[in-house]
Amino acid sequence: MVTTRARGVRPSRGYRIFQAVNAVVLTGVVVVTVYPFLTIVARSLSDNAYIVAGKVNLVPRGFNLTAYRVVTSDPAFWTSYRNTVVYTVVATIVSIVLTTCYAYVLSKRHLRGRTALVGIAVFTMFFTGGLIPNYVLVTSLGLKNTVWAIALPNAINVFNLLVMKAFFESLPVELEEAAAVDGLDTYGTLLRVVLPLSKAMVATMVLFYAVSFWNSWFAAFLYMDRQDLLPVTVYLRNLIVGATDATQTGGGLGADDVVQSAATIQSVTIVLTVLPILAVYPFIQRYFVSGILLGSVKG
Amino acid sequence: MVQMSRRQVLFATGAAAVVSLAGCGDDTPDKKDLDRNRDGAMEKYGVGDQFTATAPVTFSILYNNHPNYPLKPEWLFWSELAKRTNVKLDPVAVPLSDYEQKRSVLVGSGDAPLIIPKTYHPQEDAYVSSGAILPVSDYLDLMPHFKDKIEKWNLGPEMDTLRQEDGKFYLLPGLHEKPWQEYTLAVRTDILEQLNIASPTTWDEVYAMLKAMKAAHPDVYPFSDRFGKPNPAGNLLNMLALSYGLGGAGWNYHATSWDSGAGKYVFTAASPQYRQVVEFLHKLVAEGLLDPETFTQTDDQARQKLASGKSFVISTNAQTLVNDYRPDIAKINPNARLKKIMFPIGPAGPVNPASRLENGVMISSKAREGKNFVAMMQFIDWLWYSDAGQEFAKWGVEGTTYTRDGAGKRTLAPDVNIVGLNPKGTKHLQKDFGFANGVFAYGGKLDLVQSFFSPEEMEFQREMNGRQAAPWVTPPPAPLTDDEREQTTLWATALKDYVTQNTLKFALGQRPLSEWDAYVTELKGKNAQAYTDLVNKAYERYRKNHG
Repeated sequence: MVTTRARGVRPSRGYRIFQAVNAVVLTGVVVVTVYPFLTIVARSLSDNAYIVAGKVNLVPRGFNLTAYRVVTSDPAFWTSYRNTVVYTVVATIVSIVLTTCYAYVLSKRHLRGRTALVGIAVFTMFFTGGLIPNYVLVTSLGLKNTVWAIALPNAINVFNLLVMKAFFESLPVELEEAAAVDGLDTYGTLLRVVLPLSKAMVATMVLFYAVSFWNSWFAAFLYMDRQDLLPVTVYLRNLIVGATDATQTGGGLGADDVVQSAATIQSVTIVLTVLPILAVYPFIQRYFVSGILLGSVKG
Repeated sequence: MVQMSRRQVLFATGAAAVVSLAGCGDDTPDKKDLDRNRDGAMEKYGVGDQFTATAPVTFSILYNNHPNYPLKPEWLFWSELAKRTNVKLDPVAVPLSDYEQKRSVLVGSGDAPLIIPKTYHPQEDAYVSSGAILPVSDYLDLMPHFKDKIEKWNLGPEMDTLRQEDGKFYLLPGLHEKPWQEYTLAVRTDILEQLNIASPTTWDEVYAMLKAMKAAHPDVYPFSDRFGKPNPAGNLLNMLALSYGLGGAGWNYHATSWDSGAGKYVFTAASPQYRQVVEFLHKLVAEGLLDPETFTQTDDQARQKLASGKSFVISTNAQTLVNDYRPDIAKINPNARLKKIMFPIGPAGPVNPASRLENGVMISSKAREGKNFVAMMQFIDWLWYSDAGQEFAKWGVEGTTYTRDGAGKRTLAPDVNIVGLNPKGTKHLQKDFGFANGVFAYGGKLDLVQSFFSPEEMEFQREMNGRQAAPWVTPPPAPLTDDEREQTTLWATALKDYVTQNTLKFALGQRPLSEWDAYVTELKGKNAQAYTDLVNKAYERYRKNHG
């Protein structure tokens, strides 16, 4: 007791209240966000009958792994899973390279035409060509049914670009000056000085891009004409939305069309789809924690 | 920046050009001149003939990929189809979940496959003005089976409902010999027996039954319904309105409905029949007979309530009864029994409210220029409209997937299963063979349509087919011009939202029914009258121009 008091300043009352409130609110947020996911996990391990009866919350009822066996034995699931991995990796690499280059260039105040270049990027934030012109463009470039239809049109996310540009701008000019004095050209500066100092930034961007490509389905849905090219998100969407929509369209549908995709199967697919991207977070986290510019500029 | 937007303009013009070019095909003067399009076509092809292309041909087709039986290239369906017709289909596989959106993009960009199935009227309306879709009614001479069925089954009036402003139709619908009403109510018969009441036949009896159930089980809402999305209580409203003689309510919502008595179109949600429907719903809710959550809950929630005994009545079709409700409840309450009751009769009398038209096939206008055009139309005619083609699409290959006895009754092969008809079968007719596929197999003769039905369902259909067809199934054509369609689209959303909102308010008692007249006036303020007038004008115009 005595030592603790001696060591630090006693936190003020206001600060302690703030901490308490903080803890309560954040715990609430955690519960709200984690609960649905845990429910899905519980459902994926339960017997379908209990789910239908509304008896599954956080604890699986009628525990079994049949649904996992069913889903993992479906070759179409693994094909789409592989597609998702390939699309995510390729698209993320392309995106990171392009975004970094663009952002680094834009961060240099002495660049001529910088305003115009920023303008072009920002313009696309507010205006798009529209669905059909985009489709015609991608199709006539021959990108349809290739990974490039997914990777190229969405390669640069302007928001990410601006964040990255702001980050590069905040780097001390002296560092790059020092690099120039030591004989590095622009590329050398970027690769050997700036990027190693931007690990946290790049990691964040990788995470942003990877998550968004992993979760995206629309581009693939639009530009892929064959079932074996579709990512797992489309597979999942068809399973879930298809199951509800078929009954929604109503009277005209033949009995063959009424989809009966068991609740367990849906949950299993959700769990298997979310798991890998969830596993990425802890690995990237460590870049956030370690300091960014510790000791690079002195005095 | 300048260059960029210029490029965008270029592509936009390009897209527009594609669309308008496609439109030109329609205006070629020699519409009947098909000499350049006869490659692969049969010289003589008539009713009862097997279509076989004289040379191997390939047609692209938009394929609605069902999650329950995902497309497989090795299906017997494809190989046998090629063997019989010499046609190879080249499918563009689109997930069922977003089929309509992809179809719009493909048609809009001029990149659509030649054959575009699974189109529900009036979805084709949107594509008509662009000229991207072929006016198929011009080419019916190439389709003997289609024409034959229309004639034999007197489907003329039904076909007229598809006609556009130019008097043509752009969709080849699925044709049924008899109407097929799928939806009605499922009721817990063990509760009926306990209470000693007969299975209800009219909505009044349904009301009495619910009242008796409530009296015996005061703590439950006896009726908690599903099929409530995207239109709240979509199926219930639709069924009720149909029994009251109104065509366009609930999930079948249309702003205007045909009033056969008055001989004109009326605004659906302002009609006296709609008022009666709403009053009936209000009565059910007010007396605690209908779960108020019916209007907002998901299908799963309604299923859960039924399974756990928190409700006794729910909307159903033949499939949901067998696949959902019975297995759900069997594990929880082995004594519970559920039955599909006859479609309840309302003031409109005993009618069969189902249409004899199904979803159908659109043809891309590009096909008309192709050298295989005639062969393609003959092929479509054979596969979708000939008895042999329909049987093939549904049952597969005789001797492999099914057998026929002397009386013509079909039986699945011992190792083949579908809809639980042959539980011992290890292979699935849809998943492993590609037959009974929603893209290719629908409609047809009564005995074919009913060939997968359970005895229970057969009884239901027998009774329903004894009822006369409802007049609103074949409203007279009232096709709008492009400008009119644009105008009504602008009004439609606000009107529909307002109708939905107030239907719920009236039903749930949040707005007293005494305010009905005020509500009708409010609708007029949102152009309900103008909308109805426009439709009636279109109806008169069509009658004058096309007799």
